[in-house]
Amino acid sequence: MTAETDTAPAALAVRRPGGRIDAALVTILAGALILWFAPVGMGRYGTYVLTLWLVMAIAVMGLNLTLGVAGLKSLAQAAFMGIGAYATGLLTAKMGLSWYPAFAISAVATFAVGLVVGFPALRVKAHYLAFVTLAFTSLVWLFLRNEQWLTGGTFGLPNIPRPTLLGTRLDDALSFHRFVVVVTAALTLMIWWLMRSPWGRAFLALRENPVRAASLGVDVRAYTLLAFAIGSAYGGMAGALYAPLVEFIDPSPFAISASFFLLLMVVAGGSGYLFGPFIGALLGVVLPEWLRFTGGLYLIIFAAIVLLLLIVCPKGVLGLAEQALGAVVRRFRRTS
Amino acid sequence: MRNWIIGSALAALALASPVAAQEKVKLINVSELSGAGATAGTNWKNGIDLAVAEINAKGGIMGRQIEIVHYDTQTNPANTRAAVQRAIDEGTYAVLGPVFSGPIGASMQIAQRAEIAQFVGGEAANLTQQGNPYIFRTSLSQTAAMPKLAKALATDVKAKSVAVVWVNNDFGKGGRDAINAELAKVGIKVVADVSTEQGQADFAADAIKIKNANPDAVFAYLNEEESARFLRAARQQGIDKPIWGETTLLGAKVIELAGDAANGVKGHVGLSVDAPMNPLRDFGRKFRERFNYPSDHNGIKGYNAVYMIKWATEKQKKFDKKGVADTLRGATIKVSEEPGILMDTTILKNGDIDRESFLAEVKAGKQEIVAVLPPVGP
Repeated sequence: MTAETDTAPAALAVRRPGGRIDAALVTILAGALILWFAPVGMGRYGTYVLTLWLVMAIAVMGLNLTLGVAGLKSLAQAAFMGIGAYATGLLTAKMGLSWYPAFAISAVATFAVGLVVGFPALRVKAHYLAFVTLAFTSLVWLFLRNEQWLTGGTFGLPNIPRPTLLGTRLDDALSFHRFVVVVTAALTLMIWWLMRSPWGRAFLALRENPVRAASLGVDVRAYTLLAFAIGSAYGGMAGALYAPLVEFIDPSPFAISASFFLLLMVVAGGSGYLFGPFIGALLGVVLPEWLRFTGGLYLIIFAAIVLLLLIVCPKGVLGLAEQALGAVVRRFRRTS
Repeated sequence: MRNWIIGSALAALALASPVAAQEKVKLINVSELSGAGATAGTNWKNGIDLAVAEINAKGGIMGRQIEIVHYDTQTNPANTRAAVQRAIDEGTYAVLGPVFSGPIGASMQIAQRAEIAQFVGGEAANLTQQGNPYIFRTSLSQTAAMPKLAKALATDVKAKSVAVVWVNNDFGKGGRDAINAELAKVGIKVVADVSTEQGQADFAADAIKIKNANPDAVFAYLNEEESARFLRAARQQGIDKPIWGETTLLGAKVIELAGDAANGVKGHVGLSVDAPMNPLRDFGRKFRERFNYPSDHNGIKGYNAVYMIKWATEKQKKFDKKGVADTLRGATIKVSEEPGILMDTTILKNGDIDRESFLAEVKAGKQEIVAVLPPVGP
């Protein structure tokens, strides 16, 4: 067992006794409400960055399930995002299918591919799994680049249409943002529900002590595969939103470097926390955009901030917050 | 005392008024300052900075100073889209950049929706084939350059077979597709079609493959650093057939990095600071003085873009964003009217441009222009 998995992050593990309102549920609903109205007066740029943040947060949520909950170090999340983005792009732009079935197909396809790729997870662990998933990401990227007849190759796939809702195409930034807010809230609620279900408890048991989990009757093989496949499907669903957001895709955002970046977002936000992906994606997507005012040095400043953050709080922002909260509570109890 | 206070207040108000603020025209450049396109994007940016400094020193555009802002795209489509959107939200007069075709593809719809002219450095053929009336190239497209090259290979080299080595990105793949089509038209057979990677360090295996195919000539279409590495590997493997290329292969950076291996290389050059034309040579000198290195074609493109905007604004005699695009479509800008354009340039209705170009050869470590080729159009 690795160092970061020794203590279970409370946010995903805690279950409220029946009858009490769950703080996580309230946060999800309140967050969705705030984000629904947040872009008012923000301009199209601000709205676009907010939407991109949510889309990346979905991909990070999937990886958080794979890494933070099931403890599998995967470097394939960008590839799953790519599969989802290209599946949606091809189905909507080239075959004229509506976004909704394309989204469902992307989710099912990445879930299925996740099952196939996740199979080696049963045999290899830690950095060996990272190598297997790294090879998979390279393979997907090469396919996207070289099979020009299907994917458009290096020239990419232009003019990907936005979804339509009640007969209106969500072309303007604000309505598409609100659409993404609803989808993100639904997907977050699904993770919240999953972690409260027996499956979620099995995932946590697997991560904390696989031998003990097995002795208690948890099917290690099935649950490991399931965690990986659900995480992959979240990558695919993020891709299915990324394609109509940017309205253009080429292989570059789904390369190996993007997988590392997604992994960084999981760790920086707080691996294993329900809201860690949102903080991580905020750091990865919004922070560099916000730092643009510093001119040519913005990427150096961004890298320095991330470096400092990981030194100060190796368990991510939410890990630090939890520690700080714990210290306050202990002090309060001592004094009272 | 009271009058003095009122006077001061009025003066302060005048200084802070929108009239004073309108004295500037804001231009935002969105280019590849980090990531895979950083070399091209930085040259493009420096070309823009040089043009802006020159125009501002001479009093600006119609009396207004240019305020230039640069945003990095990280050579990533999603970030490019964000940056172009930001540029438009911040009221840029026109969008400058990006240079790589992928990021251009991701951002061109936004400028089109906002009806703002976008000046790009991309050479891929498909950019101007999508019916977007607001996109403008700053160099010849691959479809304009390659027929000239295929013709030269057929008539000058009298080649019956050619090996094509290209970098597998949007730039290289576009060039490879375009040259292969043109070679087929003039009856030249492609005996080796060698794909290489961006950032590839070792070209020995590729050079051996080409040597074994025994072509009459080699056509190399790679980025700057890779071009130099390929030339060295080709010489080491004893390839003695003529090596031809397009613009980058004969660029200053390649000649510097390849050393003696660059000698004898021939090709078509769309934009070159070594061209036998005083405006281009003057630009090359000014660029070197300011940035301490020679400009490549991307530097000239960025420089040209700013002068295209200046010309269009002065032509329409007002600061109308949409009018810039309307004025430029179908226009011919002559050096006699606007010296900053460097070469007489015709802008086609679809945003492509047409102008003279050059056949060049590297001799004793210097690019020499062998012939000036006329524009494609009448």
